[in-house]
Amino acid sequence: MIHYVLVRKYAAQSLLLWSSCALALFSFAWVRVWVVSLLDMGQFRTILEQFRDFERFAPIGFDALFTHTGRVGMTFDEPIVVLCTVVWCISRGSDVVSGELGRGTLEMVLSQAISRTTLLLSHAFVSILGLLGLALLLWAGIAAGVGTTTVSETMPTPSIRIPFTAIEIPLTTAEPAKEVFLMSERVDWQTFGTGVFSLFALGFFLLGLSTLFSSMDRYRWRTVGAAITVYVIQLVMFGLGKATERLSWLRATSFFNCYRPQKQIAMVVNQDTLAPWRFTGGESDSWYGPIVYPLILLVCGMVFYVSAILIFRKRDLPAPL
Amino acid sequence: MMTHSFPARSARALFATVTLTANATDDRTPATLTPTRRDAAVQAIGLSKRYGTFDALADLDLTISAGEVFGLLGPNGAGKTTFIRTLLGFLFPTGGRVLVNGIDPVINPVAVRGQVSYLPGDARLPREMRGLGVLRFFADMQAQGDLRRSLEIADRLELDLKRFVGFMSTGMRQKLAIAAVMGSHAPILILDEPTANLDPTVRGDVLEMVQEAQDEGRTVIFSSHVLSEIEDVCDRVAFLRRGRLVREQTLNSLKQRHRIVARIDRDEQIEIPPEFRELVENLTQDGDRIVIDTASDLAPLLPWLQFLDLRQMRVEAFGLRAVYDLIHRGEASPHGKESAE
Repeated sequence: MIHYVLVRKYAAQSLLLWSSCALALFSFAWVRVWVVSLLDMGQFRTILEQFRDFERFAPIGFDALFTHTGRVGMTFDEPIVVLCTVVWCISRGSDVVSGELGRGTLEMVLSQAISRTTLLLSHAFVSILGLLGLALLLWAGIAAGVGTTTVSETMPTPSIRIPFTAIEIPLTTAEPAKEVFLMSERVDWQTFGTGVFSLFALGFFLLGLSTLFSSMDRYRWRTVGAAITVYVIQLVMFGLGKATERLSWLRATSFFNCYRPQKQIAMVVNQDTLAPWRFTGGESDSWYGPIVYPLILLVCGMVFYVSAILIFRKRDLPAPL
Repeated sequence: MMTHSFPARSARALFATVTLTANATDDRTPATLTPTRRDAAVQAIGLSKRYGTFDALADLDLTISAGEVFGLLGPNGAGKTTFIRTLLGFLFPTGGRVLVNGIDPVINPVAVRGQVSYLPGDARLPREMRGLGVLRFFADMQAQGDLRRSLEIADRLELDLKRFVGFMSTGMRQKLAIAAVMGSHAPILILDEPTANLDPTVRGDVLEMVQEAQDEGRTVIFSSHVLSEIEDVCDRVAFLRRGRLVREQTLNSLKQRHRIVARIDRDEQIEIPPEFRELVENLTQDGDRIVIDTASDLAPLLPWLQFLDLRQMRVEAFGLRAVYDLIHRGEASPHGKESAE
């Protein structure tokens, strides 16, 4: 179903982009864990409390962020992480048919004894493997950060509360003691596996979508434009759905509603390791189990890929302009 | 209107020769050239490709025999590339079918492409690869690829294989594509304007390679706008116009044909005697100027020409250029043998 020579070509073709994204994701994840360690939890709480009114726009409740795991888990919603993933997925997905058609290189490749399905699947193999690699590298970056970063915490000073009043009197006037821990004592890097899976599912969805557009088109710029248009519209719908209760139904129509890595990480912290992988027992605001959401993205991505193959197999391939 | 007739007795005397010559010619209308043939490398049967109201190919019947070098001629938009792309399975016909070595590309495009090595009209190669990488890539991809042979061709074309495709000139890229395509041992070669952007020396090399491919028993479909190249390498040529096959011509018979340009001192319209109509492709009379295109050998026509009392007569070899003009500049009806009666 896939052709190893094509796989080699596509891998070589995308190596530079992949390396750049990989470097960005790995180093960003590592640095971000380090940045988390720089900001004292107390200070972080104070800052975040200022924005309570905007909590509904956050992917997860603020209270879940007052842990080191919660703060590290925010990495999955960082613009750089999402941007790198989107860049990889849309650029690779848009390349397969309309990109090669636009460059005129599809003609000679497809005049060889390979089927159109083989060509598309070989491309998909490299793209999906690349996406998986990026997601895993992000995880590796987090793990590296967690393993190498120390965090200092201010230990609460002993105090006594005067009965019937809210007054607390410290028992010592000395400076509060600070203790330094390894981040790994507070955060288990394996917790983020579920977030990595969510990120992969989001990327797979976008890969499938842009591959579908590419299979119909002959201009890559138009394919990229169409994929980004869908992305932005869905993002706006998701934002509007969060902004007001009246439009909350819009959230359910946006694929971003299925990307909830922080909630799943919180489930690992608050429940157990297997909690995000269950089909039942979801969060209070959802009808399904937590695993259903990334699965929706994966199934949609699969449907897009199958549709792309069917369209590509049936369409005329115009001569390059 | 007065007409000028040729004596019947002279015609009878020449009849035997005329019949033989007429039978020897291979110029036929398309309908007679499309039998179902088992030895056909390519066979199009009523092949049509329509885009909305535009016919890119219309009811094309064409047979290309195994082992021949077949030329495709026609102006831009005539349907040459559409035909090639249809037989490769890039385009789906809206009517009829095409078979490549008996295989329908709509049903089994992979098997068809396994039989074919194709050089597109505008060959574009991956710019991020070096020349050597491109040759290796295509040798690995082709069903009957041969890197050693591709390298030999590249050497023959004096190609720098260390250079990235993105830094190659148009001509170098064309040479690289030729090396990639001609290196394959596929039984059918399809070359769409292979000599575009090449210097005269390399053009000569490419034409030689086409000849060598034929010597190896391979079928070559050669599309070009350069008529002299078609004349040099092709055994047979098809003229397309607006998606239709308007004429097929064997090059051997073309070499027997001539154009006679002369003056004539008669006001009346010249009429071709019935026994010579088969031998005359076209007759145009403009005042005292007369142009006669022979359909085959000139010799049998000489008595009639002598009878016409022509003066300032000039006899030219009838090349593809003249046929092309006849068809595409509307100097004559495409199928028939027009006479100015």
